[in-house]
Parts: sequence; C-alpha cells; structure tokens
Amino acid sequence: MPREIITLQVGQCGNQIGMEFWKQLCLEHGISKEGILEDFATQGGDRKDVFFYQADDQHYIPRALLIDLEPRVINGIQNSEYRNLYNHENIFVSDHGGGAGNNWASGYHQGKGVEEDIMDMIDREADGSDSLEGFVLCHSIAGGTGSGMGSYLLETLNDRYSKKLVQTYSVFPNQMETSDVVVQPYNSLLTLKRLTLNADCVVVLDNTALNRIAVERLHLSNPTFAQTNSLVSTVMSASTTTLRYPGYMNNDLVGLLASLIPTPRCHFLMTGYTPLTVERQANVIRKTTVLDVMRRLLQTKNIMVSSYARTKEASQAKYISILNIIQGEVDPTQVHESLQRIRERKLVNFIEWGPASIQVALSRKSPYVQTAHRVSGLMLASHTSIRHLFSKCLSQYEKLRKKQAFLDNYRKFPMFADNDLSEFDESRDIIESLVDEYKACESPDYIKWGMEDPDQILTGDGNASGTADPSLAV
Amino acid sequence: MENPASTSISSPSTPRWNLERPFLTGRFHQEAKTTSRFAELKLDCFSNGGLEKAIGCYDAAIQELIVIDDLLSAMLGIEGRYISIKRVHGKENEVSFQVEASMDLTLQELAKRIFPLCESFLFINQFVESRSQFKKGLVNHAFAAALRALLLDYQAMVAQLEHQFRLGRLSIQGLWFYCQPMMGSMQALFSVTRTVSANDIAGSAVLNLLQSQAKAMAGDNAVRSLLEKMTQCASNAYLGILERWVYEGVIDDPYGEFFIEENKSLRKESLNQDYDTKYWRQRYSLKEGIPTFLANIAGMILTTGKYLNVMRECGHNVQLPASENSKLMSFGSNHQYLECIKAAYDFSSSELLKLIKEKYDLMGKLRSIKHYLLLDQGDFLVHFMDIARDELSKKPDEISVEKLQSLLDVALRTTAAAADPCHEDLTCCVERMSLPKSLRTLKDLVDSKTLPDIIDQEEPMGITGLEAFSLSYKVRWPLSIVISWKSLSKYQLIFRFLFHCKHVERQLCWAWQVHQGVRSLNIHGTSISRSSLLCRAMLKFINSLLHYLTFEVLEPNWHVMHTRIQTAKSIDEVIQHHDFFLDKCLRECLLLLPQLLKKVERLKLLCLQYAAATQWLISSSIDLCKSDETSDGLNGTTPKGAKLTTSNSAVTESILKFEKEFNYELQSLGPILSKSSQAEPYLTHLAQWILGIEMTNRF
Repeated sequence: MPREIITLQVGQCGNQIGMEFWKQLCLEHGISKEGILEDFATQGGDRKDVFFYQADDQHYIPRALLIDLEPRVINGIQNSEYRNLYNHENIFVSDHGGGAGNNWASGYHQGKGVEEDIMDMIDREADGSDSLEGFVLCHSIAGGTGSGMGSYLLETLNDRYSKKLVQTYSVFPNQMETSDVVVQPYNSLLTLKRLTLNADCVVVLDNTALNRIAVERLHLSNPTFAQTNSLVSTVMSASTTTLRYPGYMNNDLVGLLASLIPTPRCHFLMTGYTPLTVERQANVIRKTTVLDVMRRLLQTKNIMVSSYARTKEASQAKYISILNIIQGEVDPTQVHESLQRIRERKLVNFIEWGPASIQVALSRKSPYVQTAHRVSGLMLASHTSIRHLFSKCLSQYEKLRKKQAFLDNYRKFPMFADNDLSEFDESRDIIESLVDEYKACESPDYIKWGMEDPDQILTGDGNASGTADPSLAV
Repeated sequence: MENPASTSISSPSTPRWNLERPFLTGRFHQEAKTTSRFAELKLDCFSNGGLEKAIGCYDAAIQELIVIDDLLSAMLGIEGRYISIKRVHGKENEVSFQVEASMDLTLQELAKRIFPLCESFLFINQFVESRSQFKKGLVNHAFAAALRALLLDYQAMVAQLEHQFRLGRLSIQGLWFYCQPMMGSMQALFSVTRTVSANDIAGSAVLNLLQSQAKAMAGDNAVRSLLEKMTQCASNAYLGILERWVYEGVIDDPYGEFFIEENKSLRKESLNQDYDTKYWRQRYSLKEGIPTFLANIAGMILTTGKYLNVMRECGHNVQLPASENSKLMSFGSNHQYLECIKAAYDFSSSELLKLIKEKYDLMGKLRSIKHYLLLDQGDFLVHFMDIARDELSKKPDEISVEKLQSLLDVALRTTAAAADPCHEDLTCCVERMSLPKSLRTLKDLVDSKTLPDIIDQEEPMGITGLEAFSLSYKVRWPLSIVISWKSLSKYQLIFRFLFHCKHVERQLCWAWQVHQGVRSLNIHGTSISRSSLLCRAMLKFINSLLHYLTFEVLEPNWHVMHTRIQTAKSIDEVIQHHDFFLDKCLRECLLLLPQLLKKVERLKLLCLQYAAATQWLISSSIDLCKSDETSDGLNGTTPKGAKLTTSNSAVTESILKFEKEFNYELQSLGPILSKSSQAEPYLTHLAQWILGIEMTNRF
C-alpha cells in the first residue's frame, strides 16, 4: 500500500470537517457506512488504500485519528450511522472531557500531557503502512483544542517524522460576525506560527468566505455549520482526487505540493471550487465546459478565502502558482484551448520573477456519485493576497494585545508562566516576516530580495568545490 | 504456366492408357500418315493407282455428289477419296486440305471455301483433348469442356447435313449455305485456341484472352455472345476458387492459377519480433496474372480472405450469412460479382473488427498500454520507483531483470493497476542504449529524412538503469496485428522519455523536501532562499514539460485516435490510425527532433545535478547557521545567524552557477523553438508551457 496518508482530526471543528470528508470519500469509492464495499462498486482504477486500509474482515477503515479534549462531537460520530467505519482504537477523548476552554495554551499544554497516548496511536498507524507519505491535519485555528493541541501535534510530528509531509486543512474564523471566542486573535496567531514553521502545506479554509459563498452562491440565507462543512469536504475530497484516481501526474502528495509551493514558508494555498452545490440542491449552473470552469475558478467570488485587500493592493496581488484539478468528462483538446483563452484575455496576474502558468490535472470522477454537471473543477493556488488575511489576524491581535486583554488565561500555563509573553512576540515576528515575504513576491525582483548583491559574489573569487560534480547526478 | 509458383504446384499425371492410346481424337488419321512412311506410301498407291478413278472422269453432277460426301467427312476431320489432309511442314499443329486437281473448278472453289471450317474443327477438337490434361489447369479444363459441348452441336449439324444429303436434298451450294452460321464462330474459336496453345497459357491468361477477344468481336453479335459464353464457362472454375477465398479464406487452387498466394513460412508468432510486420503484409500476396475483370478489386479480394484467415487462426468459425446474391455465378456486365465481393469484404472486415474489438478487447488493451506505457495511470510508477530505486541506479549489465520484474509486479499489485486484469502482461526490460542512441537505431529502420548528425556523440557517461529501464507488454495474436512489435517499440521510446522525466521530477521533489526541512530557520535573503527559487524554476520546467507531453500530446492524440478507431470500418484502418497516432506522438514528444531533444536532455541533466547537490548545499549552509547561532549567543528567538550564510561563497557561488546555467539553457530553447515551430506548429504549445511565452509566426 504505497504512499499512504494519515489524517488527524483535532478538536470540534476538525472532527466535524473530517467526518464530512470521510462521508464524501466513502460515497466516491462506493464504501458503505459500515465500511464495506458496496455491491455496485466494482469498477476498479481508484486508489482506496491511500486513505483507507482493509481490516481482516474486508472492512475499509479510514487511516484517521479522531482527537478531541471534549466528548461532544466524537460522541456524535460514535452514535451516528458511521460509528462502525472508524477504528475505535483511533479515537482519543481526554479523560476529564473538559475541553480546552477555547484557550490555545490549554490545548497546547494538554497536548503535551497526552503526547504519549497520541503518539502511540500515530506510530501504530504509521507502522501499519508500507511507505507513509505524510499526515493531514484538520482543525480550526481559533478555538482551543484544534489550535492549541493541533499546534503541539504539528511540532511533535515535525520532530518525530521529519521526513514525512504534513499538510493541514485549517479553518480560519469568521471575521464578519462577533465571535463568542474573544481570544480568537491570540489563538490564531499562536497557531499560525506553527502552521508557518511546522507544516509543509496549509490549505486555508476561511469561514468568512465559506459563509459568503453559501449566502451568495448557494442562496442560503443562514448557512449552518453542516452546510459550510460540506463545502469544506468537497474541497478536501477534490484536492485529493489525483491521489485517489491516478492520472498522468500528481499521483503523490509531494509532487502535488512541490509544484505549488515556491519557498519553504510560502506554503499557504487558497482554493476555489465550481460548480458548488449543497445537499442535492437544485443546480444553478448547467453549462459547464472546461473554459467555463477555469474562468469561474479565477473569479474572486468563488475563492474560499476572503480578500481583505484594498483595491490598490488587490491589483498588486499575483498568483505564484495555480493547479486546476478538472474532474469529469473532458475533451482533452479543450484544455489547451481554454488555457489559450485565459492567456489571451489576461485573466490571470502571475508573478514576474519566474515562470508561472496554470497547471491542469485531469482526473476521473467517481462513477458512484451522480452530479448534474459534466465538469467540475478545483483550484489550488498560491496567491500573494493571502497576506492580507494574515495582516488582518495581526491587526486583531495587536488590538487585543494593546489592551493586555485576557492574557491571564494564558499565564496559567507553563509556556506563558512568569508573565513570559515572548511566545506572542515571536509568533508576531514570524507572521510579519511571512507577510513581508508574500509582499516581496509581488515585486518583479523578488529573487534578489534580501540578497547581498549576488552578482558581486558571483564574480568574486571562485572556489572549485562550488561546482557540483556531474557524477553525483544520476 | 509462366509463374514462379508453378514449380511448387503438383498436378496428377495423366493416366498411362491415355498416353498409350493417343488416337482418341480424330487426328489419328493424320498421325498415322506421318508416323509410318510405309503406310503413307501404301495409302498413296492405294488412292492414286487403286480402285478410285480421278474425279475428273465423272460428270459434273456426279462430281458434286462425291465432293459433298467427301466434304462431310472432311468436316469431321476424315479424309475422303478426293480430299486429302496434309500436314504443313514446320508447323506442328497445322494441316491443310487439298482437293484432287482434276475436280471441276467450280466445285473446287466451293470446297476450298469450306476447308477453313474443317481445319478449325480439327484444331479445336485436338485442342479440347490436349487441354483436358490435369496440368493445364481448371480454366483450361472448363474451356475445353465448353468447346466439347459446342463441337457436339457441330457434329450434330454435320449429321443432319448428311441426312439431307442421303435424302438427296443437299447441293454443294446448300452445304455452303448451311455452314455459313458456323463459319464465323468456328473461326473465332480457332484463333483463340490457336493463341492459347501457341503460348501454352492457362488460368487467368486464358480468361483475359477470351474476354479481350469477345471485346474485339463486339461487332459480330453471334460471335461475341459465343465468346462471352465461353468466357463464362471457362471462368466458372476460376470463380469457384475465388468464391472459396472470399467466403472461406481458403486457397483451393491445385494448379496455381489463382492470383493470391500464401507464404506458409511466415508464422503469426513472428509478429512479436518482426519489426516490419511481414506476417501481416506478406503472408498472403498478389501475384502476376490478375484477371482483368478483377484487377480493380484485387486488393479488396486479398484482404477479404486475409481477414477470414485471421479469424480462422483465432479459432473463430465464420459463416457468411446465406443469401441468394452471395453466389459468384458470373461476372457479367451487370457487375453483380463486384457487389458480391464488396459484400463479402464488408462482411469479413466487420466480422474481424468485431472479433478483435469485442472478443479480444482491443480498446481495453490499448487503454491498458496507455495506463502503463504512457503513464496515464501513473501511480504504479511512483511506488515502483520507490522500491526499485537501488536496483535502477546500477549499471545496465549489473541489473537483475528478474528482481526488477518482481518489484514491478509488487508495484502493480498494490496500486490502482491491480484492478486491471491486463497488468499481468506487463514486463520490464533493460535496454543497452540510452534513449537518443535508441532513437538513432529507430531512424535506421523507419523511413525518414536523413538525420543530421547532431546527436552523433558517444554516450555522455555510463548509463544507469534509470536511462535503460523500459517496460514491455505481451501482445498476443490476433492483437499483435495492430500492436505489432514496431508499434510497441515506439510506445517504449515514449515511455522511456516519460520515465526519465518522472525521475527528474522525483529528484527535484526530493530536493524541494530538503528545502522544506529548513523552514523553521529564517532563510530570508540567504542562498537557501535563492536555491529554493531555483528548485521551483526547475520543478516548473520539468512539470511543464510533462504537462506538455501528457496533456498536449498524448491525451488529445489518444482521444482523436480513440474516436477514429471507433468508427473504423476495417482492421487495416485501425492499424493505420494507431500507427498515425504513434508517429504523431513520437514527433510531438520531440523524439524525432534531435536538436531540441539534446537541449531538453541537457536541462534535465542540470536538474539532476542540482538535485544531487542540494543536500550538500543546504547542509553546508545550515552548519554555518548553527555555528553562528551558538557563537551569537542566546538571542533566544529565531536564528539570526542565517544572514551570514551568504558569506559561504562556495555554496552561493555554486547555486548561482546552477541558476545561470539553467537559465541560459532554458532561454536558448526560445530561438530553437520559434525557428522550428514554423515547420512543427505544436512546438508553440511547448514554448508556452516551458517558457511561458507566446510565439506567433514572425514573418
């Protein structure tokens, strides 16, 4: 079973979106709620083993760890019709069940406390796979468990599985409505530091944008969590299609990510999906050609990250890389034509300091899921405007920090003991430098950004050892 | 029989009694005369000095009666009292009739007018006998039989004339009158038979002759229709052979008359090794002597039976649906026979196509080949390259093919390929030559423009398994007709190119991961950051190249071929579409453009060199970082020492050198691409992908 991926769903939000993700995967692969392959699911050619393994009794079991510090969501899953899908040994609920109280520090601290238990579970899963490719973490960055404990797990994974990839699906809080979690900015900032330093790739799922899409695109007046979560699961399942339905390219996670992520820290991806539907909702979009799909994917209104940029800044924003995963019956000759059109009409603003273009992956669609549209598409993109989201987080943090508000909750925990708030400052610095790096990407001479006049170095005294021995390369 | 195959054809010998008794023809009278001088002498004495008086002694009326009597005999080839048959010297088969000089001149004249008829009869009669021998072939037999029937009529006429004569109602003018209708026909047949026996022809040549004669005689209605009837009779046997061929695929041709021959030495198994697909192209072939009325559709006839034979080789029993029109009865001017052959062709080609597409699942096989050799379902390769890494980095002659094969099997069984029953036909092989060199050998085989010696260099360095690895696919009869050895080797060339690109991509991905490893250090403005951008540019290049190869070349072309094959009417059409697809892909994958290929290989080599050096580049940078950090004291937060890494000029310099070289090579592709794109328009797509530039034809 090569190139397996283990999913960790942490906290309330993480488990909710994880649950939706597995539901979607089961549907697409023809796996029943009990984990048994449906009779109709006879068409091969898909790769179930990336995300599932088969128990001795032919049950398909998700390679998933369900972790929470309070039992509500996980109990819900264990009482749902999907209760037999998961491996019960992979469910972790803390003994006291008191949660993290929306406090990052509490989640982080508790994570440290249960490290051994959780790492045992992870090790067991990792041992059960032939050549583990990496981990996927689902969580939110605003609460307590997903953010705090998630952060701790990220650090530990990086340490313990340094050769493995870590990808996260991180839900960013809705900035439009006042949250019941007042310390949200603190939690977000502290998590963002770990996302920057300890993850290989972060797929940003912005609740603000998800809500907006649900209201504007799906015409839901008051979208529920379940509805926005189904958007998330759609994105998650679509972004893994090239792994599950192998094609010419992007058949492993590293190949998928490497082409998208330019520098080690600029690894935050935006997503867009079209056409969107929720729960058998009557279809609005009918005509879906490849060009339609690609064009819609480039429209801001379909992108699942809100843009906080002012108009002037927005026009400066540039795409660093784009991968469009097109699913469905596609005439391959259309792909070239569509790209040509997009190029001619200059619909995409790319960075100027390096080669860039829209990459396309054609992928099969699940034969078991009926959709009303022929073609659907997911865009994974690295875009410099993501910095505005971080700037927003920073500014909210600054506001709160200036008031020294709610810091007592954090001081209770060792990391911030003795009024040591350097962790906050350090996180702030890192996020700021991330914002700066994205900003620098918008300028044409990004390559020279911060370099000490490289030309001079090049012309300086050469050292023969600098040339790579050609025999090294095979 | 003037064809080379005649030696191989054995015909039964004529029984001895037939040779020992050569007098079954009416010619024995003459034979006797020539064989025995004594007898001739005796006969001469007998006729001259014997009982008979010279005819001149008689009264004219009597003379007429005698002459009529003699003529009636002569008409059947028997010498009379005053009409003698003489052999023409030097001409074996010719005889001449002579009358006694004392005969009344008027009678003489009249008698001489009838002689040609007698000569014709004699000759035709003799022709019939001699052509009935086995070795003369079926057409001759049929022709002779038809003539014999005609001669019977002729003899009946003579008998009727004799009856009239006995009744005293036949004058010599009457005889002449009654003979008139026969004269032309006999004359025409005489000339035909004379040509046939003079050239000793058989089979289709006889048919052609008869037909052309009939055409030449178009003005004479009676003669023309007679000749047409003869043609028809003679061709019956031939059509029988034809019928068995187009309806059953059997060559039932004991005397080698048919225009299709089978080369039994070519075996269908040879398709798996023979580059030129000789079996398919030469197992059955046309030879000389196609009857003119079939000349236009000879090709169609050949393929009809060829297809039937393929089906028979598959153990598939084909039965042409019986219909009244399916008999090849004649080839009259209504061209019904053409329709029949057309129908048989349609039947056999559609039947074979159905067989190959449905029972042998051609499309499934092609799809399976696409999965593995064109990497349409490339996940198996990811796993294979994971597990076979060590084996593949060896030199070709150190590689254990068995080991590779078992690793390949593992990879296939554990990935999406497991669901495809065809994956078991996949085998691996290790070539001895690098791809450019293999391409050159292909060039030698493929008819193509002479190749500039641009890739005429020795192997850059010893090749490893990564350059030499290739997949092969077991193709069985009858699919080997379409997926011949030649097509398979073209697939392999494409595979090897893709495989190597994938390898480069993998190495770069690995280099990318190495960069990811230093994420927690602040690399802002260091050579690492520069290096990560170079890594990105290289990844972009190789990804774009792969994108171009797969989504711009393989996938659309496959799509086109797929639709064409769906609507193809015959297997030859399928072969043609498939070959066209492969050639187009080969070309568009740059494999036939040595100058470009060389550039691309150079770029790939740079990528590999860089990827191999990455570990060293990064770790030497980090060492510096760390030592800086410790010496820098406890700054506590992010490692600030990173900036100092630029002072390690060796690292920086090497990264910049890579960058410079890579960019130089990449940019130098531009002019080549724009120059070549006028002849090869698809190159503009490549340019868009890997250089991100628009290329409009600049005139």
